[in-house]
Amino acid sequence: MVIYLRSGGKLRDRLKPDVDIYTRKVEVEGTPTLEEILEEIGIPDGLVAFAFADGKVRRLNYRPVEGDVVTLQPPVSGG
Amino acid sequence: MRIEVKKESCTGCRLCEQICTICHYKEINPKKAAIAIEPHFPEPGIFEPKICVQCGICAKECPIDAIHLEGEAYVLHADECTNCGICVEACPFGVLYTHADVPTPLKCDLCLKCTEVCNTGALIVVD
Amino acid sequence: MDGFGGTTLRINLSTEEIERTPTDPEFARSWLGARGFVSKILYDEVPRDADPLGVDNLFIVTTGVLTGSFCPVGSKVGFGCISPATNGHADSSMGGHLGPELRYAGYDLIVMEGIAAGPTYLYIDDDTIELRPAGDYWGMGSLELEKRMKKDLGDDFQIATIGPSGENGIVFSCITHDFGRQAGRCGVGAVMGSKKLKAIAVRGTKSLPVHDLDSMYKLTYDIIQRTKTHPNMAPWQKYGTAFFVGWSNERGCFPTKNFQETYHKDWEKIDGERLVEDCLVSDKACFGCWMNCGKYTRARIPGKPDTYQEGPEYETIALVGGSCAFTDINHVAYANHLLDDIGMDTMSGGSTVAFAMECYQRGIITKDDLEGHELRWGNIDDFEHFVRMIAARRGIGDIFARGTKGAAEALGRGTIDFASQAKGMEFSGYDTRWYPAQLLSYCTCDIGAHHSKSWTITTDIELGRDTIEGKAEVVIYLQHIRPLFDTWSCCRLFWGELDVTPEEHVDSIKHLTGWDVTLEECMRVSERVWNLNRAHFIERNGGPGRKFDVAPARHLDEPIPGGPAEGKVVGRENFEAMLDDYYANRGWDEDGNPTREILDDLGIGYAADNLEKLGFLGKPIPGGIPKVRGRELKPKAM
Repeated sequence: MVIYLRSGGKLRDRLKPDVDIYTRKVEVEGTPTLEEILEEIGIPDGLVAFAFADGKVRRLNYRPVEGDVVTLQPPVSGG
Repeated sequence: MRIEVKKESCTGCRLCEQICTICHYKEINPKKAAIAIEPHFPEPGIFEPKICVQCGICAKECPIDAIHLEGEAYVLHADECTNCGICVEACPFGVLYTHADVPTPLKCDLCLKCTEVCNTGALIVVD
Repeated sequence: MDGFGGTTLRINLSTEEIERTPTDPEFARSWLGARGFVSKILYDEVPRDADPLGVDNLFIVTTGVLTGSFCPVGSKVGFGCISPATNGHADSSMGGHLGPELRYAGYDLIVMEGIAAGPTYLYIDDDTIELRPAGDYWGMGSLELEKRMKKDLGDDFQIATIGPSGENGIVFSCITHDFGRQAGRCGVGAVMGSKKLKAIAVRGTKSLPVHDLDSMYKLTYDIIQRTKTHPNMAPWQKYGTAFFVGWSNERGCFPTKNFQETYHKDWEKIDGERLVEDCLVSDKACFGCWMNCGKYTRARIPGKPDTYQEGPEYETIALVGGSCAFTDINHVAYANHLLDDIGMDTMSGGSTVAFAMECYQRGIITKDDLEGHELRWGNIDDFEHFVRMIAARRGIGDIFARGTKGAAEALGRGTIDFASQAKGMEFSGYDTRWYPAQLLSYCTCDIGAHHSKSWTITTDIELGRDTIEGKAEVVIYLQHIRPLFDTWSCCRLFWGELDVTPEEHVDSIKHLTGWDVTLEECMRVSERVWNLNRAHFIERNGGPGRKFDVAPARHLDEPIPGGPAEGKVVGRENFEAMLDDYYANRGWDEDGNPTREILDDLGIGYAADNLEKLGFLGKPIPGGIPKVRGRELKPKAM
């Protein structure tokens, strides 16, 4: 199936976007977790604070479904 | 067309006030804006954007007809206005503003710039 | 002068003299604003033996070059003084609306000296400036007072206040504004209180002069439209900083039980999702910001009145929630309100209570010291009682009013080993034992431990958490780029989060001021400030500099007992090796003293003369100083 991963900030260079400047199309087999997908495409999970899909927060154990657009949120300091 | 306010979405950033004065007066001065954000804090903790609803009462009340209906906006013509203040008094929504350095009331002309920068859906254009 | 309010105010609180002078263009260009202004003025004007809470300290309120302009996002105001926590340069900033309002009233900088005869507040309404009696306000909580003053003066005044904590000189007192924005760190609220200055109220109705408004408008309008659709915008708007709690726990850097542990097993009960789902009232933004990371919330605890507050944000959740081991977000939010209203920094305040909780756990303090109360982990009633003891300096509260370092020095019994602080200021909300560059960042930070000047958790992950190689150079780069935002007086988050480049911020400055300025020039200002602050610290406290760059024993020697970072610890040898590397890369000698060559290079040779007189000028470095100080980490470092 195909999903779309999006990010900017510190993660963008790692993500290597190909659809637009923030988005990468990723083909995955089966129903892997986000964590497994990130490992597959070479993004250290420590650099993703959380994911965001369909207006909701998703932990890295989330299993994307066909066509999901998943935003990866890089950690930043603040507060 | 008018600007509808969704006050529950307003975050009080006042970007609308800033852009209003940049576009109308070529100045950065939120106090000259034709929109104002009224904070209600500490309780209930919400903001209320206050902007003209284009009801036209000011135009009716203006003794010298300096406020004209142009398209869907009532536009105040500065070159005709005598700054008598009747429109400010007459506005039932309290959204005609004044500033000591501006010789006319500050009235929204529906340029929609504020809706272009608002990022929370607090100011939206409706027909 | 384009880009500036135009006027600098000098106020002598003792004599009530108020002097207005045009802001000096050369001074503005050389120091850029807020943090830079503070650094230079404190260095030039405060006697080296001045008591931070005494008559000779200054209290500075300052904007920076971008404050109040149309840029991403000029919402900040800075405060400066000699810190009662560190006895060194202090700068602390906050967002909200006060900084822009000052600019619109025509003021760039206010330098206050002396001490008022009685409780006073500073009233500014455009050209009207008055020192008004504040006897009726004295003793009031920060939030309560802001509400009262809005009622007394009008909603269109922007107001900054201190609470009882600042009045009583608690060294981690903050300044509060806009019902929840704080200049929290360095004890700026205590210095404000020592001046008997209870509040500042400002209304400004003037226009900010802009050199090229069309270009400024186009640049920022395009940035707004571009960042609106940035993928990280929506999550950021929804959750703000509170959402990094889970990530921090999984990375093994979430302070838990006063940094005894780094994983809080109940983190899901106090994280951003709980905050937004259970407590959110509204999203709240600083002036001119379309990212609205502020979360205005209501805390509900049975048997207590509901409280309204902005936050808690990440740092508060870490240092109140995690470090005091709370397990209910309502309790963390309630504690946030308590500290805000009483006028304490939630970071150092949370840390100081957590430190006391560990003292209680170890039997170093007991119920006898606590007016019969306990001080249990995660207990909101114990927390509240102890905070009130500190604010009123009752009993043992007087000792903890000095912060963790001061309290540890008074308590003895090895407590200094578990006081997580550097130079007298408490760590931010990240444990360092698996993050050596973060430990180096805290311990070399010019205002005491604070993440705002250098935050390296992701850098440590990228370069390797078990190595110290290459860390010092990145810390130096961060110590120049991050405080630059405090100097420009704009928010840093558009850079880190939404890909607005520092070069675009420099373009904003160009359009605003007409200066032919470059990022390189700004980075040099930032390095100049860093070195001047270092010289100042040594001049005030005696040298050599290295003796102040000290890490708490817990972070050097005590392996993390469990969780994702189990067994990790930095180690003394590694820490000292990082310091060596850091000094060499800064152009300082091995004792941590700046050399004449580096100070001359940065145009502050006068600091070299002063250090030389004291015998703490760095020895010349064989081969000279490095040409480039600090290294940017690719991909973009934050």
